[in-house]
Amino acid sequence: MTTKSLLIKQISAILVVVIVFFAFNYSVYMLVTNRLGNNFSDTSQAKMVDVEKYLPHNPESDLVRIDSSLKLNDNLPVLDGAAALLPVYAAFVDNVYPKGSVTFESGNFSDDNFYGENFATDSKMQYKNTVRGYKAIVDGTTDILFCAAPSAEQVQYAKDNGVELEYVPVGKEAFVFFVNKNNPVDNLTADEIRKIYSCEYKNWKEVGGANRTINPVSRLEGSGSQSAMNAFMGEAEFGIKSPLAITGASIGFSFRYYMDGVVENEDVKMLSLNGVYPSKENIENNTYPVIAQFYAIYRADNENENIPVLIDWILSDEGQKVIEDTGYVRIN
Amino acid sequence: MKTKTFNIIFFTVLALCVVFTVAHFIYDINAYKHCSIIYFIAKELW
Repeated sequence: MTTKSLLIKQISAILVVVIVFFAFNYSVYMLVTNRLGNNFSDTSQAKMVDVEKYLPHNPESDLVRIDSSLKLNDNLPVLDGAAALLPVYAAFVDNVYPKGSVTFESGNFSDDNFYGENFATDSKMQYKNTVRGYKAIVDGTTDILFCAAPSAEQVQYAKDNGVELEYVPVGKEAFVFFVNKNNPVDNLTADEIRKIYSCEYKNWKEVGGANRTINPVSRLEGSGSQSAMNAFMGEAEFGIKSPLAITGASIGFSFRYYMDGVVENEDVKMLSLNGVYPSKENIENNTYPVIAQFYAIYRADNENENIPVLIDWILSDEGQKVIEDTGYVRIN
Repeated sequence: MKTKTFNIIFFTVLALCVVFTVAHFIYDINAYKHCSIIYFIAKELW
């Protein structure tokens, strides 16, 4: 072999290694990495909601405003809640609490930190989302938490700490399933979804769709939607999917207004369940099969006299109008 | 190129590629825990 042909082979060998690894990493980037952002930016920062859009007492905020008959000025209960319910409890603060009750660590709102908010510890509105919010209500740093039903672990955490929680249903919402807008499937039965999540069905063609692997996506354990999904599964157990399923066509679950009103991503679509689309009308007339309540949760031993006052107002026509005009369904 | 020189270059390039790929996977695993499902499904390739 001549020196020149040997050199060409050596360089070719190095190039082949580089090209193979580049092609592999590029494929992983297109199939996975490129999709690991949040709903409001391409970063992987945990940002479930654009909090700045829902800051109370800011004329530019996207909050429901009514002529509230209730105005609280002192002993203000600290409100906290799930990302999906931020527009609701921020509107309660806006309508009932005085200006200056929502404060930030540096004086001004910032979403630079990982969880996207810098509410000061003395702020009467917080945003810890469901998992940290349940811990905060049990630990006593939050007075009223607005969330979906708790997970078994969250109930146990309260019990372990000797805390009794009161759950007051204040609104209703549909628990929905969604897929990419290009997925030809528009409807699934509840049984089909359970079989997808138990990994009995592994390909979309088994439910009348395309010949693609199903990637059933779950949420963080303890989040409101994951707790709702656990309840939806009932006796059926979650299966263990293949690691390669992540490259398949996904199905996810959430709450209707979070998808439709908060995130508003046009590249996903909600599925009909048992032939019924999760519209507001179908929640109101109870034809959609999976309707969840959401709650105002507080410690039974909390002596703040404004907690029952505020909850009575939330259950009144005024509070229910805030819930309804935000996009949820009233409980009464 | 001498065989020894080639081996050094080849295995250095290979090692760099492996390190980059492992780092890519570690990033993906961590980012997946915090990403939005809606965003993840919206950007699915069809």
